[in-house]
Amino acid sequence: MTEKVRRLSGRRELEELIQTCISIENRRFNPFLLDITEALRIIRRHSNQLRTLDDHLLDMRAITSVARVVGLQSANLRFQSSALFVDPSMVQQKLDSLSREQMAEFLLLSWHPIVELEQLTLASTKEAKEFWERMLSFFERRKRLHLGPFVSPDAADFEELARMHVVEEKAYTRKMQDLWKELKESAEKDERVDYWNFIRGSDFAATIARAQLVSFLVTYGYANLQRKGNSMFLVPKARPDPHPEGSPLSFPIPITKEVLIRAK
Amino acid sequence: MLFFKRGRVPGARSWELKTGLGKGYTKVLEQLDESLKDLDLEVKKVEPQTLSDYKPGPDDGEEESRYFVRLKGTLAPKEARLCGWRIDNLAALAAALALVVSKQGRSERKELETIIGNKAGRWRALTLMDTFLRSGYLEEDEEGLVKLGWRTRAELDLPSLMMLLAESKAPSAESSEPVEDDQASIEG
Repeated sequence: MTEKVRRLSGRRELEELIQTCISIENRRFNPFLLDITEALRIIRRHSNQLRTLDDHLLDMRAITSVARVVGLQSANLRFQSSALFVDPSMVQQKLDSLSREQMAEFLLLSWHPIVELEQLTLASTKEAKEFWERMLSFFERRKRLHLGPFVSPDAADFEELARMHVVEEKAYTRKMQDLWKELKESAEKDERVDYWNFIRGSDFAATIARAQLVSFLVTYGYANLQRKGNSMFLVPKARPDPHPEGSPLSFPIPITKEVLIRAK
Repeated sequence: MLFFKRGRVPGARSWELKTGLGKGYTKVLEQLDESLKDLDLEVKKVEPQTLSDYKPGPDDGEEESRYFVRLKGTLAPKEARLCGWRIDNLAALAAALALVVSKQGRSERKELETIIGNKAGRWRALTLMDTFLRSGYLEEDEEGLVKLGWRTRAELDLPSLMMLLAESKAPSAESSEPVEDDQASIEG
């Protein structure tokens, strides 16, 4: 039992060590925060408890992680001895305190933009012309791909295009007219209909589409929207009564799945 | 070959120049450099990844170096504006490069966006980061860390930038206030 506990705690220590190394590699900590001697001592301490393949793999990962941190420490020392070394916290402080103009000026003083041109040259034009002239015809090139007999372009009818969602099956005005008719029929009894009941479609997308059409019905004077307390009602008009000067009131209605469930 | 952009990156690789000009291409480049001096231009040789990884020298040898023609001197703010650069963008680039350099060539994207956001606004910081990555000033490695890109290695004198930054003094309080979202100028 003690042996098992010791093995488990050893694995945990190695995993923690690997995590620390990964954080250092991801530049979250300074590589010198890891005491390499201590890290090696941990690895060595658990080396006689390695039993399974997993244990050995974990041990290997820990060693390579520590090695990578040593590499980073070495790079860090090289960097600190170079002309580019500035402490990151000092840089952050400076960047916070400097004005945009100052920083732009510093960049301009150290900036030597590349000269690059994008245009046709005589040589490239000649090359392109030769390529074009040497190029085989479309049918010759197609033959090489062994694509079988060539099918000529075909005409598609309206239904097919609608099925492919290239065109709408019904024009928008027609959809509005149909919905207006539906609204009038639904409101025959009470002369009004509950907004949420009316806009509800087969799914969420259909509900949104109906709500959008309803908003146009109201805007173009095909129906009125009445509010009574927390309820909203749609009252259809016998004849559309558009407001040429625009709607006097804009009333946004947020539609979320939660609202629809509550309105059920 | 050096001036014209072929594909995404301008300039020419050493092997391309060798093929085009022969073995003595370095001599030709030296002569070209001399001739370009009158136009305030110079030929710049960029070793692969020398600054990003802080290696003492290129491991891949001469074959992988790239040559560019760049401005020998520097631009005045007015000239930079004429090239389509705004003060905000220049400041943001300076901040991003300084931070990446101070972090030994690699930094988290989020950290950079925060630093740029303080100067150019939060939303602008996101677009600017994309612009810097796209134009080659910065590169994102496979671990999602941001490092210096090929264009920075070709165009920027980083020791000078870091020196200027280290020696700088903050201006008066009113000109150094951080920018509110969307207040910064909008031009890429």
